[in-house]
Amino acid sequence: MTIGSMLGDVVKSFFKKPVTEKYPFVRQEAPENLRGKLVWDPEKCTGCMLCVKDCPSNALELIVLDKVNKRFVMKYNLDQCTFCAQCVINCRFSCLNMSEEQWELASTKKEPFEVYYGREEDVKFLLEKAARGEAEESCKED
Amino acid sequence: MEAKQKSEKFVVPIGPQHPALKEPGHFEFTVDGEIVTNATARLGFVHRGMEKGVEDRNWTQGLYLMERVCGICSHVHAMAYALGVEKLANIQAPPRAQAIRELVAELERIHSHLLWLGVAAHEGGFDTLFMFSWRDRETVMDLLETITGNRVNYSANVLGGVKIDINDAQKDALRRGMDFLEERTKHYLKVVTEDETFLGRTRKIGVMTYEEATLLGAIGPTGRASGVQRDVRVDSPYAGYPDFPVNIVTSVAGDLEARFVVRIKELYESYRLVREIVDHLPGGDLTVKVPRRIPEGEVISRVEAPRGELFYFMKSNGTDKPERIKVRTPSLCNWGSVLTTAIGHKLADMPMILAGIDPCFSCNDRMVMISGKKTETQVWDWEDLRQYGIEYYK
Amino acid sequence: MNITFPSLIALLLFPGGLFLLGSGLFFEYLDRKLVARFQNRIGPRWFQPLADFIKLLAKEEVIPAGTIKSLFILLPIFALAAALTAALSVPLFGFKPVFSYNGDLIVTLYLLSMMTLCIGLAGANTEDRFSIVGATRALTQLFSYEAPFMLAMLGPAIALGTWNISLINQGATQQSLWFIVSQPIGFLAALIGLMGKLELPPFDAPEAETEIVAGALTEYSGRGFGLFKIGRDIELVVGLTLIASFYLGGFSTPLDFLWKVFVLLLITAALQSLFARLRIDQTVGLWWRIGAILVLCQLVLIIIGNTLSPFIAPLLGG
Repeated sequence: MTIGSMLGDVVKSFFKKPVTEKYPFVRQEAPENLRGKLVWDPEKCTGCMLCVKDCPSNALELIVLDKVNKRFVMKYNLDQCTFCAQCVINCRFSCLNMSEEQWELASTKKEPFEVYYGREEDVKFLLEKAARGEAEESCKED
Repeated sequence: MEAKQKSEKFVVPIGPQHPALKEPGHFEFTVDGEIVTNATARLGFVHRGMEKGVEDRNWTQGLYLMERVCGICSHVHAMAYALGVEKLANIQAPPRAQAIRELVAELERIHSHLLWLGVAAHEGGFDTLFMFSWRDRETVMDLLETITGNRVNYSANVLGGVKIDINDAQKDALRRGMDFLEERTKHYLKVVTEDETFLGRTRKIGVMTYEEATLLGAIGPTGRASGVQRDVRVDSPYAGYPDFPVNIVTSVAGDLEARFVVRIKELYESYRLVREIVDHLPGGDLTVKVPRRIPEGEVISRVEAPRGELFYFMKSNGTDKPERIKVRTPSLCNWGSVLTTAIGHKLADMPMILAGIDPCFSCNDRMVMISGKKTETQVWDWEDLRQYGIEYYK
Repeated sequence: MNITFPSLIALLLFPGGLFLLGSGLFFEYLDRKLVARFQNRIGPRWFQPLADFIKLLAKEEVIPAGTIKSLFILLPIFALAAALTAALSVPLFGFKPVFSYNGDLIVTLYLLSMMTLCIGLAGANTEDRFSIVGATRALTQLFSYEAPFMLAMLGPAIALGTWNISLINQGATQQSLWFIVSQPIGFLAALIGLMGKLELPPFDAPEAETEIVAGALTEYSGRGFGLFKIGRDIELVVGLTLIASFYLGGFSTPLDFLWKVFVLLLITAALQSLFARLRIDQTVGLWWRIGAILVLCQLVLIIIGNTLSPFIAPLLGG
């Protein structure tokens, strides 16, 4: 029967540094297995769509620009992704992997959460088409 | 006004929002001075419709949905689901995968018990123990992050095996972590069993005898603290447990102190198991191919969550989507013990008795409809449900 | 120090009034910071209690139905007024007390208990179950902690033969042996009595956060809650000053005051972090028996010592 059995802890911690990390001024290194933001390499993709089929939250969408020449653009909804890495496992050609550096993903606007992956010209083509599509629609409304 | 208050029963609600509860649940304690004379409970505040949601998703997507039933015991939910699917498809995951599943499950048990130690200490007003045990819990969270990639919702399972592997650097980190935690746990065991003020809050409080425990159906560490010798890892071993068995930890006192002691001793068992698995990890592949369409059948899958026995009933109709999955989580069985042992104790003991069963409200909420009149199965759609709810509250 | 401040300045600015309010907030900061360091955390920054107070003053005050409105609004003001008045007879910060007269020890101790009475009344005023349970516990704890605390404060008063706090302070500075050494039991009783009065852990059953939300003050918000909090801080300052002045050898300078009160605060913070919360029946049972017995033994010893000292002193050579 002791009174004050945590006395040793209490006295020791008075003289030690507090264990709290003063994030964001002090940042710890992320481990290498961390499942951060998804990264897609368009060069090896064959368009099998296994990643899209098995995503639990339908965060991936593969837009086919040219099926024969394997030109795809992937639309990745960062705000719907659950970071489960099932798509990484499914891909047989190792096109996908989860980055361990990009894990501070908070943002105040909606735009950073819709990520388009693909070759430069493909993505530009797609975005311009979308902008034209919207402009046409708003013309139609008038 | 005083006469009116004396004749009515004085009901203290520990209600959906209360600092004692980390998750919403409604308890009403009828109090006479400070002594509790009656207790009722109402759950269902965290119902998310997961059993219905999983019927719309294919088997792989369902794995990740089921993992999110609970944050603290997420890996065992995924493991139960994956084991059930593998049983339906009649395949066996390779031994390395089973061992890694057990490793992550034991690490999760460590994290859950340390979390519980802190929360129960906080309910008893012992904030220092709360802060220190949560500081030590960061060690196991960092280990889990190193191995699986995330601190909660580890997603280590896939249908047919695991998706993570353990290399030597991680093995060393695991060994070091276990050494540190074992030393700290010895200290906590001393604190819990010897500190006068803490014993005044836990000894002889919430006593549940062996007969009461078997009658009320208490499982998990709550039941084992009363002498019930039930542990799914020992009764029907699954995953890696046939190769790395566990020793069951029980106590006979049945009071709150016994529940503390049982959980801390289970921590020792987990440390021993983690070290054993790390030292003798079998070689081989990590996964086995599972077909997209699972053959028809019904299967029962039981695993030992940190809170008790987790029970999955899975029915497949041959397509790539499950037909029915029923989840019965361990906390649901332990509520009866709270309501019975609460009577006769003081109001100040209520939060500790509630915390003593390690309640996990988000696991709990399934919809149970008991309609005495009709016996055939019913299918209700959204409009029927809404109408029923409106009628109920009128 | 023998500086006497003109009454109005003492009342409003220094060392009472605004300076006392500021030092109450500072002591709360020190207490929270020390407890945090004992628990291996960082703790709040120096302006946290001030920020809390300003925020509380700015928030809307919700008056629940079923209470007596005038009582609801006046009780925090009474509590704060009592604490501030009690501070006027106490040698704050090492300066001579502003209002000093024979018997002010009794008046000060009574004013210090007014705070708990006000909290109990505030809890009983509402219809909320948590408040009623908290008020019952607060008043129960009042009975068991006030009496030993007062008796412990009387120990040095009897030894010095006066009821006037400033004279006791002067007498304590001139004693060769601090009272903590010659009346250790009294010191222990006084310190624990103070922690019980202020409802500091482990004696915080009346405001047990995990059981009854906030105890008697559950329904208070905004200005009323802020006033209660700051009243409690001032009571902490006054109580620590009293104990330090009686048992730790009195104050002759402000520097003396600072380090003695800091040592007391250190001990109090350590006691706060070491124990689990005691249930209300355990606190009452513990202190009504042990505390009262201890203090009565101490008083008996003092009386014996006083009676025998004319005979013993010549034997010891003066």
